Amino acid sequence: MNRLFVTVSMVLSLASSGAWANVQSIKAEVNGMVCAFCAQGIEKKMRALPQTREVYVDLKNKVVAVELKEGQQLAHDTVRTAIKDAGYDVPKIETVPLSVREIRAATRGRQ
Amino acid sequence: MGFKDSWMAMGDFGPNWREGWVNYALTARDAVGVGAIYMRADDKSKRRELAEVTYTRLLQRWNTRDSQANAWFVMGLGGVQGNDFGGTKTMFAPGLQFDYETTRVYVSAAGRLYRANGIKHDYGALRAGFSFYEVDYEQTQPWLIVEVRRMRDLSDKTEITPMLRLINKGYFVEAGVNNSRQWRFNFMYIF
Repeated sequence: MNRLFVTVSMVLSLASSGAWANVQSIKAEVNGMVCAFCAQGIEKKMRALPQTREVYVDLKNKVVAVELKEGQQLAHDTVRTAIKDAGYDVPKIETVPLSVREIRAATRGRQ
Repeated sequence: MGFKDSWMAMGDFGPNWREGWVNYALTARDAVGVGAIYMRADDKSKRRELAEVTYTRLLQRWNTRDSQANAWFVMGLGGVQGNDFGGTKTMFAPGLQFDYETTRVYVSAAGRLYRANGIKHDYGALRAGFSFYEVDYEQTQPWLIVEVRRMRDLSDKTEITPMLRLINKGYFVEAGVNNSRQWRFNFMYIF
């Protein structure tokens, strides 16, 4: 019984962490992002993309993360162009196997 | 101006100076808009009312990890009316602005020439201030900003206004009282 409980807990934990559901986010470092009022353009442009499930803007660490809907792909250049159209530069961009919630928890844990 | 394909509304209100603009960002660097300005002399003897179309160009932006600096050009063209002359005069109003900001510090310098036949209302403004603390993206950030501004041939007085600025991802507002004990209120909003 105990073994069954542990197994079920592990499955639920994996599912909620995103690893089970193959969650992917595109994480970009953004230069020039110093004010929330100005950075709202980035959030609006990211949310307008059909592949986007959730967006996270981290002013302190200058990071924007876009969590993709399941099975969706999004080219780095699309994200980079949208951020540049909002007025910012992107020195680094990568795809990570994490949800926005996990990225938020990790960056807040570092602060 | 806001970001590409966005509409932005701005306003600056006080007893002697009231202006409002709406503009549309055609690109990340260009915006067109319309605006109206009401100006009044300190002694209330002269008034100006300007309606203009504007073109705003982001000449240069410098983005670093912890700061942003901008050089802006604005050109206004419109009609001005006053209480000391008849009819409407064509007014040109070119201007430049430089600004630099981090999450904790803001400085800017702006100049604009309001020129019409027989009118030279040259305008200059300096702003500097700091935020009380850093915030997350979803939180409202309070700033203290001091603005010093002056306009030739309409006001002999240098106006100094300390203002409380509140920045949020949805709005930008400033409110203060100037050295003539007059209220000021500014806002920006992006649609």
